[in-house]
Amino acid sequence: MTPLATAALVAGYERDLPIIKGIDFTLAPGGFVAVLGPNGAGKSTFVKAIAGLVPVHSGALSLRGANVTGLAPHELLRRGLAFVPQTENIFATMTIRENLQLAAAVLPRPARAGRIGAMLEMFPDLAHRSGALAGGLSGGQRQMLAIARALLVKPQVLILDEPSAGLSPKAVGQVFETLVRINAAGTPILLVEQNVRAALKVAARAVILVDGRLRHDAPAAELAGDPEIGALFLGAGHGEGARA
Amino acid sequence: MMIPQILLEGALTGALIGLGAIGLTLTYSILRFANFAHGELLTWGAYLSLSVAGLIGAATGASLPPIDPFSFTWALPVAGLIAMLLTAALALAVDAALFGRLRGRGASTIIVVMASFGASMALRSGLEFLYTSKPAYYTTELQIAMRLPAGMRATPDQLLMLGLTALVVLAVHLMLTRTGIGRAMRAVSENPALAGLTGIDTRKVIRVVWILGGALACAAGTMSGLLVQIRPYMGFDLLLPLFAAAILGGIGSVPGAMLGGLIVGICEAFAVHLIGAEWRAAVGFVLIILVLLARPSGLFGRAA
Amino acid sequence: MLELVSYGAFFLTVALTYAVIVLGLNVQWGQTGLFNVGVAGFVAVGAYVSAFLTAAPATGWLGGYGLPIWAGWGAGFLAGGLVAAGVGRLTIRLRADYLAITTFGVSVTVQLAALNLQPLTGGPFGVSQIPRPFAALAGEALAFGLANLGLLAASVLVLYLVLEHLARSPWGRVLRAIREDETAAEALGKSPRRFRIEAFALGGAIMGLGGAMQAHFIGFIAPENYLPMVTFQVWAMLIVGGSGNNRGAILGAVLVWAIWAASSVLVEALAPAGEQARAAALQTVIIGVALCAILLLRPQGILREMRRLRPAPSSKTDAP
Repeated sequence: MTPLATAALVAGYERDLPIIKGIDFTLAPGGFVAVLGPNGAGKSTFVKAIAGLVPVHSGALSLRGANVTGLAPHELLRRGLAFVPQTENIFATMTIRENLQLAAAVLPRPARAGRIGAMLEMFPDLAHRSGALAGGLSGGQRQMLAIARALLVKPQVLILDEPSAGLSPKAVGQVFETLVRINAAGTPILLVEQNVRAALKVAARAVILVDGRLRHDAPAAELAGDPEIGALFLGAGHGEGARA
Repeated sequence: MMIPQILLEGALTGALIGLGAIGLTLTYSILRFANFAHGELLTWGAYLSLSVAGLIGAATGASLPPIDPFSFTWALPVAGLIAMLLTAALALAVDAALFGRLRGRGASTIIVVMASFGASMALRSGLEFLYTSKPAYYTTELQIAMRLPAGMRATPDQLLMLGLTALVVLAVHLMLTRTGIGRAMRAVSENPALAGLTGIDTRKVIRVVWILGGALACAAGTMSGLLVQIRPYMGFDLLLPLFAAAILGGIGSVPGAMLGGLIVGICEAFAVHLIGAEWRAAVGFVLIILVLLARPSGLFGRAA
Repeated sequence: MLELVSYGAFFLTVALTYAVIVLGLNVQWGQTGLFNVGVAGFVAVGAYVSAFLTAAPATGWLGGYGLPIWAGWGAGFLAGGLVAAGVGRLTIRLRADYLAITTFGVSVTVQLAALNLQPLTGGPFGVSQIPRPFAALAGEALAFGLANLGLLAASVLVLYLVLEHLARSPWGRVLRAIREDETAAEALGKSPRRFRIEAFALGGAIMGLGGAMQAHFIGFIAPENYLPMVTFQVWAMLIVGGSGNNRGAILGAVLVWAIWAASSVLVEALAPAGEQARAAALQTVIIGVALCAILLLRPQGILREMRRLRPAPSSKTDAP
């Protein structure tokens, strides 16, 4: 069953000002799709609309065949959609364990401790300081905690909004490695990225958004090898990267 | 007067202020506006306790003797608990009718603050209409102060209030730090959008906050009514000390609000003895100004 | 008939003194988005300072210098502005509702000071024998009333013209820019904080002036004239008139004062003698509920079709 699909999705912060202007999109089971495009194309708004953070004006959103258009973020999470925002994606005034406990609250009581344990095992960097305040973590560790928080509920779809923003190259590498592992274990991923080269390396498929509309939908390898696409939509700098 | 006695009197007022300020600081940090109608929740709580206690008294034929060594009968604590539920319901009702709608419309903070100002006026005058502005009392019993160490004196009622306040504050603190709903409240206070993405139902948290804020306000109002008197303006007159305590402790911090309340209460007690009782009401304002000058995020607050 | 005219003149003159205060609030809220919950305090400062300088000396009172009325008005204006500038400097850099809390504290404290600083303020009995404009006409009620109405109307007109001019001046344009997009204004090298403090001080000064005008028209002042109810009334006037609009502010003042006066008359006429206080409380409940209802249903104000200036501050500008 299709984990996530949008049909003629129109969305934006204000009623009379749609930023997403009608997008039909499907995420296949086990898929890993990168959402690319120039600045201001509406990449973030697209995934935020899916996550229930930006009002949907018209069109439909479905999760595993069920219509979930217009649900609030906490309801979408309970239906299997986990979203990692770009910034402020952890609770800085709480400990790492408390961050995970918050997420675990949606699970049945007996399952909670086990899932928290599993996440700490998966992210050993977090495990040995689980009592420390999350605000003290480095950028990369914060991103890992945010991913752990989202993954804890065993989502049917994991969506990330620019997880590489502001991270050191080494941390970016770690984050993307983790995403590949998660995807290999069966969780479909939708990823918004500015860092086109890195995104095309990990994603299986990429879609390009321009001015709130879907312009291209192709296997990542194909896009990575297309210099024209790189120059047109992804900015010269990134285009060179994509060509290389 | 001796310093220990002034401290004790300050602690008594401070405990009441702190109790009221906990509700204020929680609604402030989670709903993100300064609720000028919070004082009226204290007043309504006090009057609701009075009415329910009156009903209980009428039902039992007013034959209950006071609980030794206190000045009141069993009717008051029972009425107080019922009134806490009623005050919580009142807070939920005001939210449903006013604040919730403004929130849903995305109104700016200041519009909501202004609405709370209007609500405060209406709620207070409503009590004046129902009960007139004549002071009321829970009991007519007179209590004799007991001798305590260090030359202090206090009535059994006063000591009971101090003990009860300490228990309630401890319970709220444990709830916030140790339970799921407490964590959820802290999460919404830090980042409502992320809280939603983490699976927290913000509307449910907001309901819990109003219930808690209303119930604690009722407890503070009832205790204040027992120790002093019940007037339609009692909560409004406490509003500035409540804000001072919440700001002093850092918005959102329960121990901070309690400590802030104690500081305000003790400063008021010293002001009364050193300058004069007529200046008591300005103490809250002076403290607010001092905190805003020195450390706007409060004693326990994080920088905004 | 003559009596009716002189009552009408009296009513309108009081309403116009409120109009001055509402115009001050409009500079703070309508044009700058600064929330002042202590209007009564700034009004009281202006009234007391003016009375202190202009009234006749009295025993046990340090004031009473017999200065001319215009000097009192000027001093009230300055005093209101100084207090507002101090409060603004302290709180405008902080979160939006700290200003609300602080101004609320100002009004409580000013009221307390008026009550307790007897040598400066006359204490609970206040100051009487404040000189009234056109006192020479006091024997002829009609001429006296009309002369005062004329003076107030002229003052409100001048103030209105000055404020309209200011709103269109570079200073007013910067204020508007800040309200609409603070970051953009900052990028232009304008310090939003400084402009906000200036606007807050100007608003406070106008409130002080309004307080002084009121004091001189009525002839006496006392602490109970400056209860939070005054703040509430002034806010109701601005909201009914539609914030941001100076003409609306004046109309709102007259309209709300008319409703207030009429409902007070009604309460006095209808409520039984023993229940007057209760009926007055009910009046306040109704007006409080009405204020909330306006905020919920018509946040732009009732007279919005009269609006010429800018829309009321939208949710975007100061939402958390």
